[in-house]
Amino acid sequence: MMSRTNDVYILAAKQISVQPPLSDEWMEAPLRYGEQPYVRAVDPDYKQHFAPNEARRLGKILKRALLTSRQAMTASGIAKPDAVVTATGLGCIDNTELFLDALVREGEALLKPSYFMQSTHNSVSSLIAIDARCHGYNSTYAHNGTSFECALEDTFMQLSRGQIQTALVGAHDEMTPGYFALLSRIGYLGHAPGGFSGEVALSMMLAAKPQERSLCRLRGVEMEYHPTGEALRQALRRLLQGAQCRMEEVDAVMVGLSGQPSNDDAYASICPELFPHKQLLRYKHLFGESYTAPGLGVYAAAVCLHRQRIPAHLFVDCESGEQRGVRHILFYNHFEEKNHSLILLSAC
Amino acid sequence: MPRKAAITGIGVVSALGAGREPTLAALREGRTGIAPVRYLKTSHTEFLVGEVKLSDEEMTRALRIPESQATTRTSLMGMVAVREALAHARLQRKSGLRIALVSGTTVGGMDKSEQYYLDFLAGDTQNAYISTHSCGACTEMIADYFGIFSRVQTISTACSSAANAIMLGAMLVEEGRVDVAVAGGSECLTKFHLNGFNTLMILDRGQCKPFDARRAGLNLGEGAAYLVLEAEDALGGRGVEPLCRISGYANTCDAYHQTASSPNGDGAYLSMAKALEAAQLTPQDISYINAHGTGTENNDLSEGQAIQRLFCGGIPPVSSTKSFTGHATSAAGGVEAVISTLALQHSFIPANLNFAQPMPELSFTPAAGGDSPAPLRHVLSNSFGFGGNDTSLIFSKI
Amino acid sequence: MEELILQLKQEIIKVLNLEDVKPETIADDAPLFGDGLGLDSIDALELIVLMEKTYGIKLEDPARGREIFKSIRVMAEYIHANRRK
Repeated sequence: MMSRTNDVYILAAKQISVQPPLSDEWMEAPLRYGEQPYVRAVDPDYKQHFAPNEARRLGKILKRALLTSRQAMTASGIAKPDAVVTATGLGCIDNTELFLDALVREGEALLKPSYFMQSTHNSVSSLIAIDARCHGYNSTYAHNGTSFECALEDTFMQLSRGQIQTALVGAHDEMTPGYFALLSRIGYLGHAPGGFSGEVALSMMLAAKPQERSLCRLRGVEMEYHPTGEALRQALRRLLQGAQCRMEEVDAVMVGLSGQPSNDDAYASICPELFPHKQLLRYKHLFGESYTAPGLGVYAAAVCLHRQRIPAHLFVDCESGEQRGVRHILFYNHFEEKNHSLILLSAC
Repeated sequence: MPRKAAITGIGVVSALGAGREPTLAALREGRTGIAPVRYLKTSHTEFLVGEVKLSDEEMTRALRIPESQATTRTSLMGMVAVREALAHARLQRKSGLRIALVSGTTVGGMDKSEQYYLDFLAGDTQNAYISTHSCGACTEMIADYFGIFSRVQTISTACSSAANAIMLGAMLVEEGRVDVAVAGGSECLTKFHLNGFNTLMILDRGQCKPFDARRAGLNLGEGAAYLVLEAEDALGGRGVEPLCRISGYANTCDAYHQTASSPNGDGAYLSMAKALEAAQLTPQDISYINAHGTGTENNDLSEGQAIQRLFCGGIPPVSSTKSFTGHATSAAGGVEAVISTLALQHSFIPANLNFAQPMPELSFTPAAGGDSPAPLRHVLSNSFGFGGNDTSLIFSKI
Repeated sequence: MEELILQLKQEIIKVLNLEDVKPETIADDAPLFGDGLGLDSIDALELIVLMEKTYGIKLEDPARGREIFKSIRVMAEYIHANRRK
C-alpha cells in the first residue's frame, strides 16, 4: 500500500561543470573565470571511466550525464533507481546543430542517423536507463530555465505519494559555440562583466528514506507562471506550511543572480520584499548561467547543509563570513521574470 | 478510492481536421488524412504525410494574432487545440481557478529554425526566431495567448511526450496542486525530423499498414491535442459534466535501445500492466486498445507481442489510428487520447486502415472498426517514444 | 582489393568514431557485427550512408546490409563490384 511522506532525501549528488569535475572542491577553492563570457565544463579523462569504444557515439552531454549518473548511483549504493527524471533546456544541442547544419547546407540526403537519434531531449534519460537497465518511470522536462524544478517537483510528488522509493534526477545542458553566439545575440547570455555561460551535468539520487550519509532533506517545490506579488507570497506560504517550517527558521536564500542585469534586476526588487532581512546566497558566479543551472544551485545548497557550513564566497553580501550550523536553505529562481520557483531544503 | 482526474473538455487538430466533430466524422467514415506533401517545403515528396491542412498564415488569421508576431507552427496548432478544449470545458477567462498547462513537444520551434538557420548565422535579421526555438518557448507562446495559466511546463520524451504530459496533468490534479490541468502536446512536421526518420529507414512511401505483415514503416503526421482535466469531486461547483475519467496511467522504460523496441516488448508490457494495476482493473475490463501501432516492422511486432502476453485470456479490439492521422510524434498521445475519449463517448471502435495480411507472429488481427455491440467501458491508449519510453493511459466511463 | 580494404577500414573507424581501434587490428574476415568489431544496427545505417556518399551505392533495403556488412572483405568485394564513384 502506498504511504505518504512529506520529506524526501537527497542521498548523493555528482557534477561535471566549469568547477573541478566529480568533486566538491569549489567549496574550498573555486575556479574563477574573470571576464570570459563563455566557459565550457571541465571534463574528466573519460578514458579512465569508460571501456574502450563504450562512449564512441556519445556527445559531451551524454558522456557527462552517464558518468555523473553512474557515480551518483555508486555513492548512494542504489544500482537501479525506481525512476530516472531528467531536466534539460536544450537537450543534445550539439548533435541537433550538426544534423541541422548538414540538412541546411548539404540538402536532404546522406545525413547521419546517429546525429538524429541522439538529438532528442530524452536521449539523456534513456541512455541512463539503458545503461542501468531501469525499467521504471522515465521522463524529461525541457522547459527553459525551470526545467530542473519541473523534474524535481515530479520526483517529489511521486516519492511523497509512495509511488516510487528512489529516483535519479538529473540536470544536463551543454553549450556549443554556435548556440552561445545566438543566445548572446538575444541577450540571454554573455553580456555583462562578471556573468558567464557555463555547462551543467548534475545527477542526484533522491529517496523516500534517508541513508546515513544523506546530503539533506527536500521539503517541497512550488512553481508559478507570471505570478502577481500576492501569488508568489502564497506559493511561499504553501511551501513553508507543507514543511511546517517558519520563515524565521530559514538561514539563507539561494538565488539565481548571474551578473546579467536583465536577470538580476528582478531579484533586486523581489528578494527584499519576499525574504526581508534574509542573507542571500548565489551560485552562478561559480557555475555560470545555463538553463539547468538551478540544479547546481540546489546541489550547492545541499552540500552546505550536509557540511553544516556556508562558505563566505557564496554570500551575496561580501562582508559576510562563513556561516556554520545551517538548518534550512530556501531556493528561489526566476527565468525571464515569467517562471518563478521556490524550493525548501533542510539539514537531515 | 483516491481522487481521480475527470476529462471535461477536449481539443484537437490533426490530419483529420480541426476540432472533435471533423475528427469523429473522419474516423466514422474511415477517411484517412494521410496524403502527399502539401505544406512542408521538402524535397522528399516521395513520402506520404499526415499534415494539418491549414497554413501558418491561415491559423494566424483564425487566431487573430498580429502577423508581425513571431510564432511557430507547433505553437499555432497548440493554440487552436487548447482553444477548443477550454471552450468545450466552459472555462472562462476569469475563473479564479488555478490552471496548469502541461505540454509535450520535441521539435518545438524547429520549423522556423530550419527555415532561418542561415539568417541566424549571417546576421541580425531573424533574431525573433532564436527565442522561439526551444520546447519551453513553444509552450509559453500557447500559454500567453490565453493568459489564464498559473503554471506552465513542457515534457519532451519524443513520441510519448503528450501522453506523459497527460499523466503529469492527472497527477497534479489528483494531488490538488492545481484545480485544472490542460494537458497534451503539439508538434509540427519539420524537414528536420522527416529527414531524421528517413535516415533510420523507417518511413513508408505508401499508406502505413499497422499490424500488417506487409507493413513497411510509418507516415509522419502532425497536430496538437489537449484534454482539460479536473478533480471529479470538484466538478459540481462548476456545473460541468465529465466526458470520462483517467482511471490509470503508467510510464516505464524498455531500456533496450535508443531508437528500437525490445523484440518481446518488455517496456510496453510493463506500462500496460502497471496502468491496469493503477486503475484497479484486469485485462478483461478493457473494451478497446488504441495501440501505438506506428506501422514499423519493429514497433508493431514488439507492441503486438506485449498485448498478446498481457491479454492472453482474450484480446479486446485493437487498432492503430495512425492509419488515419499519421504519426504525430510528440502530439500523438494527445490526439489518441482525444480519439479514445470520442470512442468511449460514442461507443465505437475506430478502424485500423490498410490492413490485409495478418502478422504470422501474432494471434490477433486489428479491428475493422464500427459501432461496438456493447457500450465501451474502459479504453487503453499506448504511446511509445525513442529510448523505449512507454506510456499507457486508461480512460473510463463515469 | 587490398588498397580498398585498407581505405574502407580507415573510413569505418572515422565514420563510426572507433577511436580505440587501429586499421591493422581489424581482421579482413572477422564479423563486423556481434562478436567481432561489435557494431550495431545504428552503425549499419551509418555504413549505408557511407556506401552511398563515398562509392555511390544506394541500398534501399536496410535488411540487405546484414549480408553486405558481414566482414570487411565481403563489404569490399561488394563495393568493388557495384561502385559508381
